[in-house]
Amino acid sequence: MTPAPVLQTRGLVAGYERDLPIVHGIDFALGAGELVAILGPNGAGKSTFVKAIAGLVPIHAGTVSLGDVDATEVPPHEKVRHGLAFVPQTENVFATLSIADNMRLAADILPAGERDPRIHRIYGLFPDLADRSSRRAGALSGGQRQMLAIARALIVEPSVLILDEPSAGLSPKIVGEVFERLRGIKRSGVSIILVEQNVKAALAVADRAVILVEGKLRHEGTAAGLADDPLVAELYLGARRVHQATPA
Amino acid sequence: MNPQALMDGLIAGATIGLGAVGITLTYSILRFANFAHGEFIAWGAYFALAAAGLLGATFGALSAPIAPFSFGWALPLAAVAAVALNGALALVVDALLFKRLRARNSTVIIMVMASFGAALTLRNLLEFTFTGKPQYYTSALQIAVRLGGGIRATPDQLLSLVVALLVVLAVHLLLTRTAIGRAMRAVSENPQLAGLAGVNVRQVIRIVWVLGAGLAAVAGVIAGLLIQIRPEMGLDLLLPLFAAAILGGIGSVPGAMIAGLIIGLSEALAVAAVGAQWRAAVSFVILVAVLLIRPQGLFGRAE
Repeated sequence: MTPAPVLQTRGLVAGYERDLPIVHGIDFALGAGELVAILGPNGAGKSTFVKAIAGLVPIHAGTVSLGDVDATEVPPHEKVRHGLAFVPQTENVFATLSIADNMRLAADILPAGERDPRIHRIYGLFPDLADRSSRRAGALSGGQRQMLAIARALIVEPSVLILDEPSAGLSPKIVGEVFERLRGIKRSGVSIILVEQNVKAALAVADRAVILVEGKLRHEGTAAGLADDPLVAELYLGARRVHQATPA
Repeated sequence: MNPQALMDGLIAGATIGLGAVGITLTYSILRFANFAHGEFIAWGAYFALAAAGLLGATFGALSAPIAPFSFGWALPLAAVAAVALNGALALVVDALLFKRLRARNSTVIIMVMASFGAALTLRNLLEFTFTGKPQYYTSALQIAVRLGGGIRATPDQLLSLVVALLVVLAVHLLLTRTAIGRAMRAVSENPQLAGLAGVNVRQVIRIVWVLGAGLAAVAGVIAGLLIQIRPEMGLDLLLPLFAAAILGGIGSVPGAMIAGLIIGLSEALAVAAVGAQWRAAVSFVILVAVLLIRPQGLFGRAE
């Protein structure tokens, strides 16, 4: 029997204005421990789709479920308590707060006795952050900020982690480090949705990928299958570069 | 320079600082300049007047002055009641007006103009309820004590200064050392990200209204105790309050208090140097100078 998805959308219609939806009736499911990449050309509605799941963009029709819970109307701060963590593309740390306060803020929703042990455990995974904990987050480099944003999201031990273009603005070396970190998080059992423009990096780390075009889900399949599909690659991923850049 | 002007400036500055802390909190988190904040100061003073009168009428002994001060236990107890009542009033004003405008994603200018409307309504309600006649918490006369160096101050003035500094210290510790303080700083910087981090932004907004109005009530009681209680008392303080909030740097609680003291001292020195008619101009000059030279204020960060 197929296990129940940890996150599911049914007929999701979403957009900032009711009469101008950006996402048009998407059915999507994320399995336990799965890493799914959401790909597509600019303006395809990728970010709007995941923001709607997180509660940041109004949903006009359809449902969002987290496990057995109907989370369609649940506000973002309550979704965190239901196991959903979201890392935005930009402004994803509190720049005026110290690293320690960024971490404590995320831990504040936990029972008092669990906060410090949880923070220490995450610092163990991100030792660079522990070494700089008193530093203002605004003083960190782009890569360090991305690591802090991911570390902060992991404090609540989410069942689902959504990352909106985590490679944006980062150097290839740092992108490699961030994606390596995602592999580790996936191995720990967290299900991940990864919205990405960097198709090569995303397909290299994902189990499965879905392709959105004009707010609709057009293709889905295994990451390896999509990477090798010349039609899909040429149409939606600009993946001639992918094939050229990926050694056989 | 007359050393007494320094003392007078510090005492006036403490009241301005307390009010400015409320302004800076609401400005940084609600993201608009609330021109009704002065009215919360006046309402706080009148809530305390009504509560002290009620307590004095019910328990006469509470009105007997506590030496060396001019007031009895009724006033501090009434001040606590005023903080709670003013917090409730702020929540009602938010629910009736500002919350609806936030729900419509109203622009900052709409929020500011709405706060002007709220200020007019609140001030006229005060005048309708309590009349425009100046009122006092106590009619007892106080003799100023010598503090050395030619400086004199009444026990009421010294107590007000200490209370104002302690309240601001408490607010600073609340913001920097507690979970709700972290949540408030997070909402101030990025409300959407704060929600994603598990912060209930609506609850934080309610807490900010209650805290800002509570601080305004304390400022109102101090102003009422040291000067007099009038429906326009908050309006008269509005320019110094905004000057202090901007000079201190929006969002900085210690900055607002220090800037309040600077404004109070500047006003007192201006009165001593060029005459009382120039007092009001001092805040305006400081406000314009800060906006031109250092818009982020003394303790704010440049955008």
